[in-house]
Amino acid sequence: MLERFDLDGKAVVVTGGGRGLGRGMALALAEAGASVMVAARTQEQLDRVAGEIRAAGGTAATFAFDATNPDQAGEMIGAAVREFGKVDAVFANAGGGGGATAEFHEYPADGFDAVLATNLKSNFYTSRAAAAQMIKQGHGGVIVVTASGTAMRGNRQFAYPTAKGGVISLAKSMAVMLAGHDIRTHCIVPGFVSQAPPKDDQERAFREQRGKFLPAQRLGEWWEMGPLAIFLASDASSYMTGHSFVIDGGGLAGGLGPIAFRPRHEW
Amino acid sequence: MTKTRYFDLTGKKALVIGAEMPAGAAIARAYAEAGADVAICALTADEAVMRARAVKRDIEAMGRTAAEYVMDVTLGKNVQVTMRQIVKEIGGLDMVAIAPDLFLGKPIEKTSDTELQRVMQVNFNAHFFAVRHAAEEFRRLNQPGRIVCVTSVLGERGLPNTVAYAAAHGAVHNLVRAASQELAGERIMINGISLGWMDWMTDRINPADDEAQRAVRFTAMRRAGTAEEVGPLAVYLSSEVATRYITGQIFPVDGGLTQHL
Repeated sequence: MLERFDLDGKAVVVTGGGRGLGRGMALALAEAGASVMVAARTQEQLDRVAGEIRAAGGTAATFAFDATNPDQAGEMIGAAVREFGKVDAVFANAGGGGGATAEFHEYPADGFDAVLATNLKSNFYTSRAAAAQMIKQGHGGVIVVTASGTAMRGNRQFAYPTAKGGVISLAKSMAVMLAGHDIRTHCIVPGFVSQAPPKDDQERAFREQRGKFLPAQRLGEWWEMGPLAIFLASDASSYMTGHSFVIDGGGLAGGLGPIAFRPRHEW
Repeated sequence: MTKTRYFDLTGKKALVIGAEMPAGAAIARAYAEAGADVAICALTADEAVMRARAVKRDIEAMGRTAAEYVMDVTLGKNVQVTMRQIVKEIGGLDMVAIAPDLFLGKPIEKTSDTELQRVMQVNFNAHFFAVRHAAEEFRRLNQPGRIVCVTSVLGERGLPNTVAYAAAHGAVHNLVRAASQELAGERIMINGISLGWMDWMTDRINPADDEAQRAVRFTAMRRAGTAEEVGPLAVYLSSEVATRYITGQIFPVDGGLTQHL
């Protein structure tokens, strides 16, 4: 049974893999035995992550690309195939940026477009290129997209959550459209997860304070995405597709009041 | 053995309630494969014990310790006493999987008071009692704990003739969510595995029934799931190190059946 979690011999791509949650997933996927190509905009960050993977005895490659460019997404998958001979799992994890700060009725169209390009279109391009390759290979695969807990509730910074809501929907439609090719699709929905260890005591204190508002009493850590990424990429999740995986310390399971609210009424 | 420490349960103590049923049996075997010692509870002192004993033998063949018990999940006191005894005898408790399942396929107007009571007892009350006393034990031991409630996709949506059963499982789903809020601060994480159409569920997807087979093909993956596809998720959700920030969630093992939710 445990061998189902192993990724030996699998070729995996992680976009947005240069830092934060993407880096956390890339390191864990490599630890589980996968050859990992990390792809993102900044070569320097990619080199650092690839170096970390190799230092731990893993196999890594890098590809610097602009995830918002559909042609480059195809080139990125092509590079992974040249490097590893195939692609078994792709994490379309690019994203970031809250967008413009403006009232809804004044929100700029170009700002909205930019947020959609970074957070939704990018992951469609990567997923499309991944699916094309997996269909060509003929033995299925796994596509994982990263959304955000902010997509599940109303939010003043609405463009980002709106794009992430699109990502959740993308995973569902891909599940239906690609099941016949034995391609499973998943969506990871992180809540408040820290991108890296705190820089200083001030940041640590700030995170501790914010964590008090969550059922788990703390923020998530970047590395906690790793085990979930392994599970989803592996045969351990072979009958799961189209679903969202929330990793948020219990936040979305509650949400009917502030954390200290405990209704009391005894007979 | 897996390459990472994330799914390693070596030295951990597990309890599986309803281990004589396919999902519970698969979870018990998976826990053992991952390295845990497993206490196995059958729900009734009849042929269920023989089925649980077969699981016990498999686990012992893997070189782990397995102990077999009967737990009457319809009685809170029995769940409490049996669980306390198990913790004492196996020397601790790190994870509890709750997997009783009793399907009833009947229109609401034909469902008797007794049938409703029985459906609620096995499908819902059992979870309530087991969660209540698992949390009690984790607290007493002053350590983190993991609880996995095995439920059904019928807990999210309904079908004709499943009113009692679907309501009971819906109750379990919200039990998971509400209990997660109470227990998260104590490092007790509780999550659910909701099963879609599984190949052993001949009580609802009779292979001879064309309608039932159409329902299976309605699944995105166009097939029923297998017991082996349940175990790994339970191992993941019961791994202390892998799930310190995941609680109150229902994970469907349903081949994409409920992706639209």
